[in-house]
Amino acid sequence: MTKVKALKGLIALALAVGCLFLPYESFGVVLNAVEIRVIAIFVLAALFWILEPFPIWTTSMFVIVLMLLTVSDKGLMFSFGGDTLFSMQTDPATGEKFSNLVSSKGLMATFADPIIMLFLGGFFLAAAATKYKLDMNLARFLLKPFGTNPKFVLLGLMTITAVFSMFMSNTATAAMMLAILAPVLSMFDESDKGRAAFALAIPIAANVGGMGTPIGTPPNAIALKALADMDASVSFGTWMLFGVPYVVILILLSWLLLLWLFPISKPKMELNVGGEFLKTPKAIIVYVTFTVTVLLWVLGKDIVGIDSNIVAMIPMAVFALSQVITKKDLNGMSWDVLWLVAGGFALGVGLQKTGLAEHLIGAIPFASWPAFGLMVGAGVICLFMANFMSHTATAALLVPIIAAVGGSLGGSLDGLGGVTALLVSVAFASSLGMSLPISTPPNALAHATGLVDTKGMAKTGVAIGIIGMVLTYVMMIVLAHLGVFTPAKTTDAASVSAQGTTIVAPVATTAAPVAK
Amino acid sequence: MEKITILCVDDQAEVLDSVVRDLRPLQAFFRVEEAGSADEAKKILDEICRNGDYIGLVISDHVMPGETGVELLGAIFRDDRFADTKKILLTGQANHADTIRAINEARVDNYFEKPWKPEDLVATAKKLLTQFILKKGIEYKDYMPILDQAALLENLRGA
Repeated sequence: MTKVKALKGLIALALAVGCLFLPYESFGVVLNAVEIRVIAIFVLAALFWILEPFPIWTTSMFVIVLMLLTVSDKGLMFSFGGDTLFSMQTDPATGEKFSNLVSSKGLMATFADPIIMLFLGGFFLAAAATKYKLDMNLARFLLKPFGTNPKFVLLGLMTITAVFSMFMSNTATAAMMLAILAPVLSMFDESDKGRAAFALAIPIAANVGGMGTPIGTPPNAIALKALADMDASVSFGTWMLFGVPYVVILILLSWLLLLWLFPISKPKMELNVGGEFLKTPKAIIVYVTFTVTVLLWVLGKDIVGIDSNIVAMIPMAVFALSQVITKKDLNGMSWDVLWLVAGGFALGVGLQKTGLAEHLIGAIPFASWPAFGLMVGAGVICLFMANFMSHTATAALLVPIIAAVGGSLGGSLDGLGGVTALLVSVAFASSLGMSLPISTPPNALAHATGLVDTKGMAKTGVAIGIIGMVLTYVMMIVLAHLGVFTPAKTTDAASVSAQGTTIVAPVATTAAPVAK
Repeated sequence: MEKITILCVDDQAEVLDSVVRDLRPLQAFFRVEEAGSADEAKKILDEICRNGDYIGLVISDHVMPGETGVELLGAIFRDDRFADTKKILLTGQANHADTIRAINEARVDNYFEKPWKPEDLVATAKKLLTQFILKKGIEYKDYMPILDQAALLENLRGA
């Protein structure tokens, strides 16, 4: 086990180092050493995330450190007695400092990005809800109307799982729901195919539910960040405006699919979720804060005027002051997820700020390609990768590249919803990879119950992946026609090459206002 | 990568053999070590610590020549190095006072009476080792097939 990992790590490292020595000129692109280093770091991150010689968040952290050392304005250098012996910051050919180094502050700031804060706010809400049993109590309350007919209990479980994973981590939601489900499923006949339907319903609903809000799952954050950088921010409310109906439709379709593939024979079932709503002052603080925060998010900037990233920090202050969240709770947050996302942001920074993105884009005439083909192609690659590796890592790798491509397309994407639709569809595709136990932690947990085999998971996962993608594109086209998305600042090739350092040139046209 | 060890302690070779045999389903993921006395157990513990590996679980008999099992588990409980190590007392001869000491002074996680059911011992070992892995923050994915479901779900709820 250990040896295999070491070997994977070495192979990845060797390939990444190899990238430093490729003859880029013969591919038709002229890159300087800094840009080539970014390519090598990208390749290293990709291989580390795919082969997983290390936990994925450690790769992210490594990416940030590596970029600081090799491509930043404070990069590695050794000097002795005033003479610089070696420096990552200067071009050995000319002896001059590279002009396209990345700001080290900017790289470090990826960990304090407003969208990271948005997620941290979400973590506070989720931690408080779990600590004060709001999740369990809501689950019991919401399950009641679904009765005792197993078909509808299945739908109820999927609905609740989806709603919860819009605000809590998909893994935590799946773990909670599987724990509720386990004692009931043990009473099913071994021959009842319905057991697999229930075991599969949880990870499916957790993965799908995450797509409903910006904080539902980290790929959303990565897409949002790229959009914010292109001045095409999507507000919390707008995301939910399309995200929630999408989740509703996909959950219903998945429910029908599960009933069809795994018919339930048991005629009646009852889920027992114990406990009652807590009525202590702190619990009430949690209920009120949760409700107010979600309301502020949904109403958004257009109505209440507060930015959703800042709204996310209100529960942080409230829970800290009221000691709903203690120091121990704070230290127990999923900081690994935030590091993972920050590493993705850092890759984007490297790609954009070194000018690598525009040089690569300049070499390939994307603008002459069919826009819809590009959009579907990006989605398919993303969906494929997300089945085999972490959803967040998939988005972290592909979103910066696809954002750069999208930015270079000019107006040809507008009929499809512009770069916003492109990146949202990529985020959705990253969440739809769920055909294998290794695809996502919720899948792994469901598979470990032993109630569903890999084949059953693959069948449903592939079907839902395809249905979900088709649904995404239909929705994007509908939204584009309704004018929901603000067209992003796009660049045409000429202004890119003239500008030299940044891909996002200010030639944008801000037309349709964001729909309310 | 650090290995996780299960240490079994009993002065009767045949009992020790049968404990180790029962734990066979866990051997793909954990190293199982044997000791014939508390003294030998302590030497093995020291050595594992020196190598930087983990002691996940100690399963000990009580009545042994020299130091008793409860004394051994008590020493492990008081030792910082084994703060998260899980402890099972497996015995047929502990009296009331021994049992009280096992709880108060050694904080045993489980008490098995001889003769034991192999499947119960394995299930308990899995549960305790799952808790150990999650407590230590060891990458649990590598141990997925062997983990106790309920313990894993309970822990990930807060994730």
